[in-house]
Amino acid sequence: MPIYVDVSRCVGCRSCEVACQRVHSVTGHIRVGIQDDLASVPLVCHHCQEPTCAMACYSGALIHEGERTSFDLNKCTGCGLCTLACPFGIIHVQKVAQKCDLCSGREAPACVTTCPAQALSMMTYEEATTRLRSLAAAVVVRGGRA
Amino acid sequence: MIALDASRCLGCAACSNVCPNAFITLEQGEERTIRFNRCSEECHLCVEFCPAKALSLVPETEETSITFPLVKCPSCKACYATRPMLDRVLSAVPSHLQIDAYGTGWVEICPSCRQDLERDRLSRQVIQRRCRIEMR
Repeated sequence: MPIYVDVSRCVGCRSCEVACQRVHSVTGHIRVGIQDDLASVPLVCHHCQEPTCAMACYSGALIHEGERTSFDLNKCTGCGLCTLACPFGIIHVQKVAQKCDLCSGREAPACVTTCPAQALSMMTYEEATTRLRSLAAAVVVRGGRA
Repeated sequence: MIALDASRCLGCAACSNVCPNAFITLEQGEERTIRFNRCSEECHLCVEFCPAKALSLVPETEETSITFPLVKCPSCKACYATRPMLDRVLSAVPSHLQIDAYGTGWVEICPSCRQDLERDRLSRQVIQRRCRIEMR
């Protein structure tokens, strides 16, 4: 189940970055960027339904299973093909690929449980698309205003 | 000793990354040079991990090196990948996924500019709404 990001709720406190670094030691997999001093946007692996990183990975370190793209540290060679194959530029390589594993072994990812503004939540693809559809419908009801 | 099939090499430097003894070194600037120095070990890691199967271990050969010009990102001009690596990504990813929902061919721009684009798109609606609230 991927992480759903509600940009309008994010306050840019970077608690998610700290939580991620705490769990994964040293390198975090989520990055909060500030856009024009007006909005903060947490960028994290989308766990795409058709993961291009896993298509490019030749060693079998990145594999799409169920609703997530899992990463096997022991198989990674650090070649960087996944970095070039990520449409969102989110995977980076420091000796080995650094990628969100949805905190396997924990009940919920640390970033989601830490976020004080509830900007991050766990949702299935269906829940996320239903939510986006109802948000878009609400815009239409308001006469096209965002 | 390590023998290299230059026509197969992608220039990804996975070999230099896995080499436990730093026999394979990497120099990078506008070009990327991978040097294969004299190697007396028989660990086979570089041969095993090469994505292009370009390496083999042979008893006697000269020290070799290979140089790739790096592709420049059209927007930030950073040198970010070798051409064979991008070609490999293009051949692995089906064509309908090579162009995103906004019609951008993302493979040809660098990962950091892809992040900037994604951040810009995700925040556009929020920023519009916030600007409108300020103007009231």
